[in-house]
Formats: sequence, C-alpha cells, structure tokens
Amino acid sequence: MLTVLENTRRPKYGRKTLCAALLLLLMSLFCASLQAQTAGATSASPAAPGVRATHVLGLEGVKRNHHGTLTVQASGLNFAAKNTSGSITIASIQDVFTSQDSHQTGGKVLTVAKMGVPYGGGRFLSLFSHEKVDSLTLEYRDANGALHGAIFSMPLGQADLLKKQLVDLGAHASIPPMQSQADKKDEGGTKQ
Amino acid sequence: MKPNRSLLSLRFANIAGPALLLCIVCLGLVPRAGAAEAAAWSIKVEPVQAEEGQLPPDFSMAIYEELLAQLKKTGQFQQVYRSGDHQADGVPNLLVLRMTLLNFERGNQTERAVTTVKGATKVQVHLKVSSRDGNTLVEKDVQGTVRLFGENLKATYALAKHIAETLRDSSIPAPGAAKAAGQ
Repeated sequence: MLTVLENTRRPKYGRKTLCAALLLLLMSLFCASLQAQTAGATSASPAAPGVRATHVLGLEGVKRNHHGTLTVQASGLNFAAKNTSGSITIASIQDVFTSQDSHQTGGKVLTVAKMGVPYGGGRFLSLFSHEKVDSLTLEYRDANGALHGAIFSMPLGQADLLKKQLVDLGAHASIPPMQSQADKKDEGGTKQ
Repeated sequence: MKPNRSLLSLRFANIAGPALLLCIVCLGLVPRAGAAEAAAWSIKVEPVQAEEGQLPPDFSMAIYEELLAQLKKTGQFQQVYRSGDHQADGVPNLLVLRMTLLNFERGNQTERAVTTVKGATKVQVHLKVSSRDGNTLVEKDVQGTVRLFGENLKATYALAKHIAETLRDSSIPAPGAAKAAGQ
C-alpha cells in the first residue's frame, strides 16, 4: 500500500521536461502568428501605393537590410525607409529580374532561442518558422556608365507586379513580366 | 651591499614596457611589401560570366556588389571601378578582374536549420586578374559556401571575402615589373 502511494506522488515528467514542452508550445504559437502575418501580407491588394520591402543590397545611399516602402513612379523606382531613401531612374535600368526564395523568420532572436530549446526542439520549430519571399533584382548604370545591382526582398507575389509597372513605364527587361494571377482569371472570364 | 631586487625589476619593467610597445607600433606601421605593390594598381570588376540559367541574376548581382564592397574594404587597390565605368578608361595601371562560374548549388535555409548537414548553398568561380595588356597576374578557383546559419545569398558574401583574401595573399608584382614580365 505504501509503495502504491509513493508511486502516485512521484511526478510522471520532470520539471525540466515540462518547461521545455511549455517553451516549445509558446514558440510554436509565435511561429504560427508569424505565418499568419505572412499570409496576410501576401493577400494584400495589388492596388496598394507602395510595397513593403527590404533592401538587401546595392542601392546607393541606403544601408543593407533596411525595411521600407518601394514605389514605382514616372521617374523610376523609389525606396523610402526611416531617415533614408534612394531611387533608380527608369532610363538607367538595364534589366529587371524576379525570383522566389524561402528564408527563416524571426531573425537572430528566434535563431538564438531555437538553439536554446532542448531535445532538438529548435530544429522542429525551424520546420514552421520559414516563409517564401519574392526578390526583385535591378541592373542599372549610373551617369559614368558603371554597372550597379540592387536587390530587394518582399512578400510573395509583389515582385512581378512591380516589374510589370516598371516595364510599362519603359524599363528594359530581358525576360517579359509574368501575368499576375488576377489577369489570368480575367482572361479566363472573358473567354467564357 | 646587494641591490634591491624589487627595485631592479621595476626599472626593467619601466624600460622594457615602452620598448615593447614601440616595437609593436613600428611593426604595425611598416606596410607589407605585397600590399605596397598592389596599392599602385587600380582594379575593375566585371560581373560573373555564366551560361544562361546557370546562375540566378540575384546571385550574380550579389557576388558583384559584395566583391566591390570587400575590395574597397581591404584598401589594397588605389581605386575600385565597376564594370563599364568610363572613369577607368584613362587609368594607366588598371587590373581587370573576371569571374567565370564553375559550379552553383542552391541550398535551402530550412533544410540547413533542420538537418545541419544538408541544404548548403555553394558558388564556385574561376577567378582571373589580368593587366590591361592581357598579362594574367592571378588565376585561381574560389568557392563560397553557407553551411549552417544565414540565407542563401550569404554564400555570395563568403565568396567575395575569399576572393579578396586570395588577392591580398597573392604576390601581385608592381606595375613596371608586370610590364617587363609581359614583354
């Protein structure tokens, strides 16, 4: 009888295991919220005046990994961030490319946090803390004829729209812009 | 009468300390022979040459921009010019850096984070630095890889850094000596 009582008093799982499980649950919820934010950004209307983007590299006068807004105007492509801005004129653009990539969300904070999760939980979280992004690459020349390259990353589906706007304004692109999903749907509707 | 040992050691420390400091400062100020010779050159960077579809344009541009940044950072060359820059036309001691793609493997950041051993992104180029008269001064295969942390484009940063290190470690002759060797 005594032994039975002792067994019932003993906790089934250790305190560390419970803490780890709780941490894992909290981080899963955090990742899920990030995913939801990404999905929300992807479904943003194309008619928005600017696109939230990150300057990866190449734009003169703007530091790397600055978050800002990309807008296409008659003069060219403008990137405006907090306290800084840069622009590329339409005439100077040699080529426009779009591509897709996926990257881990959460930045350095989540990367460090994932390393701290025991029992390989961080790796498990990595499965859910990634998002697909579009990247817009521009080749342009300055007044001296020097070649520059600028790369921006933005939510999925936005790069093609920007490329189309730039090409419509006269920017050169060796690969023609792909028609957006909305255009394709419209075409399908008119045929029927 | 015996001299006080502690007093002697104090005097030694007073002399040896500043002398050591002076030696370190002098060593830091003396430029390396290779660096001084290379500083007489300017360099023009051309973008990576690759067959169509082998290298994504964002990687190509990232390698180009990262390399320009790394070469400026090292201070090894008088001027670092971009491809097509008209200002480089009249420069007498100009080196031209050309890269040809050898291999590109696009990895996956999530795969890297989950498995550690898979999903690496690799870029390998054949580097060729030649003078205006076509004399090749440096020729080597260089690779950039991102294995664990960071986005795929980080491989371009690693590649640019390796190229800058290769140029720094290579013994580029002085402009006059290079011309004589070419003749």
